[in-house]
Amino acid sequence: MEIQEYVRPKTLDEAYQLIVQKRGTPLGGTAWLRTYAKNLPLAIDLAGLGLEYIREAHDSIEIGAMTTYRELETSMLLESRFGPLFKKCLGHIVGVQLRNIATVGGTVAGRYGFSDLNTTLCALGAKVVLVPGKVIDLAEFIMGGVSGPFLIEKIIIPAYAKASYQQMRISATDFPILNVAAAWTGTEWRIAVGARPAASHMCPKAMALLGHSASLSDETISRAAQTAADELQCGSDIRASAEYRKAILPALVRRALMEVRA
Amino acid sequence: MIITLDINGKTERAECAPGEMLTEVLRRLGHVEVKKGCDTGNCGACTVLLDGKPILSCSFLAVRAEGHAITTIQGVEHEAKEFAKFLTAEGADQCGFCAPGFALTVLAMKKELTDPSEADIRHYLAGNLCRCTGYEGQIRAIKKYLEAENA
Repeated sequence: MEIQEYVRPKTLDEAYQLIVQKRGTPLGGTAWLRTYAKNLPLAIDLAGLGLEYIREAHDSIEIGAMTTYRELETSMLLESRFGPLFKKCLGHIVGVQLRNIATVGGTVAGRYGFSDLNTTLCALGAKVVLVPGKVIDLAEFIMGGVSGPFLIEKIIIPAYAKASYQQMRISATDFPILNVAAAWTGTEWRIAVGARPAASHMCPKAMALLGHSASLSDETISRAAQTAADELQCGSDIRASAEYRKAILPALVRRALMEVRA
Repeated sequence: MIITLDINGKTERAECAPGEMLTEVLRRLGHVEVKKGCDTGNCGACTVLLDGKPILSCSFLAVRAEGHAITTIQGVEHEAKEFAKFLTAEGADQCGFCAPGFALTVLAMKKELTDPSEADIRHYLAGNLCRCTGYEGQIRAIKKYLEAENA
């Protein structure tokens, strides 16, 4: 990977104009940049634009695009609302040194199949705020992206939700074989599954089966877990076969739902 | 392009390509205490502190480090030597290649965590791989070092 020209804009608008008019590529955390095969004619550094924040706004929490994994993991605000959810979701990722670099915006923009964070954010019903002001559901963004150049300003999650994150790895700090997050938002159940190895995907049939009540029976949980496995496609890669992923998927969904129910 | 870096409290200027990672530039400036290990963001050998926080210099653009305080193991020589006594006493160092990055992460942990448990220590150090020691001696050394520092 080579960068021909590097620019550090002073405002979000300047960054956006460089991306739109000069086809610049925004730089998030750069944690995976060295694995990027293509050369970048113009790199737009988003550091220094004030996009590092986790803050309350009305009935939601806003997370700036340049907020690092470590900042999410150690946020008192997030812990007060979601318990150890973000610690569990992010703590398996390489080491503290990488988590001090990798950003939420870079992860969302990359729509990485292996992402633990995207799965968790999808389950929480996160929205992606693009410059200039367009809001899109994260799960839809991950499935379809957006046409043309774009710039992520922040991610919005609900201020409260009860959620659980579950994963399977061959060894600690490796990429996940499969990850699952489930959430009760107060009005609905949400289930997202990632690292299939394709990117995070919602489970609409399983979610519909769970209904709109916070209380779930063991039987309902088991049926929803199997429904999630039936409705999602899994693939094979170096870490696991599609069959193995299909086999463990209901167990992870069941564990997530039972933890939220408790 | 020419960049200006604050390395261990001293201002240094370097010529670098826009896409060059910090490890390469630091080593070219003579800071060979910053080790080039896996070069893929996995092993932690290239760890430096950026404004006191441990980062992987192999995965961080050198140009982005402008305006930040970079600390290599030479910048914390006194503390590192104190910690090294405990590593030596526990037989927890062999080839030494991972030691600069490892020691920097330990020193960052000491500042960030209050009274960490063994599980906390193992979790914080998960990004520093060592192919010689099997980690047990390192854990003993860290625990004894922290006990001595807090005494």
